[in-house]
Amino acid sequence: MRKTFSARKEDFTDADKKWRIVDASGVVLGKLAVRVANVLRGKDKPTFTEHIDVGDHVIVINAAKVKITGDKLNSKIYYHHTGYVGHLRSAKASEMMAKHPERVVEKAVFGMLPGNKMRAQYLKKLKVYPAAEHTHTAQQAEKMEI
Amino acid sequence: MARVKGGPASHQRKKRVREQAEGYVGSRRATFVHAKQTVIRAGVYAFRDRKVRKRDFRSLWIVRINAAVRAAGMSYSQFMKGLKTAGVELDRKILADLAVNEPKAFSKIIVKAKEGLAKAA
Repeated sequence: MRKTFSARKEDFTDADKKWRIVDASGVVLGKLAVRVANVLRGKDKPTFTEHIDVGDHVIVINAAKVKITGDKLNSKIYYHHTGYVGHLRSAKASEMMAKHPERVVEKAVFGMLPGNKMRAQYLKKLKVYPAAEHTHTAQQAEKMEI
Repeated sequence: MARVKGGPASHQRKKRVREQAEGYVGSRRATFVHAKQTVIRAGVYAFRDRKVRKRDFRSLWIVRINAAVRAAGMSYSQFMKGLKTAGVELDRKILADLAVNEPKAFSKIIVKAKEGLAKAA
């Protein structure tokens, strides 16, 4: 054996990737985010290659029921800047959870992925839904436990 | 004695550096001074990274072995300990390759590791 295996783009197209579905109800946000991020990157596969996307797609359902521990519902603040002078907006975690629970999960997964050019690509495979309904029944996602 | 001028010699000297700087961006290719600095630095990186490459690959193999082993409900560290007590001396490079190309053989190694772990306990 001369060379270590390295995945090639052609061999890992979208058709080769499976779909996984995770029920977020009662799961701690950070633990969910790590697991999801690792699946998106393909770190659960022996074919893992850093510069090629070999990971599966992930559907997260019941994002509104995700568990946020401690006092973070009150004390954690989400910031974003609109781009206009003096318009840094903020929202408490409790407000975010009420209004956009899917964004809470997406942001957590975003933070768990490495900050390189692959990150945007990985996030394209992540689908988050606040309730139990989702629009990917045709993909026949495989259930994933946390 | 005839006078020797330096033109051709210094041209030859610079040519070697310019050839190595082929494909560099902007003045790093065009100007001799910049090209020379960049060529030297490239050599430094190449020297260092020939060593770093060995670590990079080892950590990649470990990630892959870990992925394959966790699918069988074991962690990487347990697996390695199990192999040690079982007397299996395959290195990480071979283990990672087996995990990708010979999953059947790899599952037999996992069985070995589990036996080794049971013996150690």
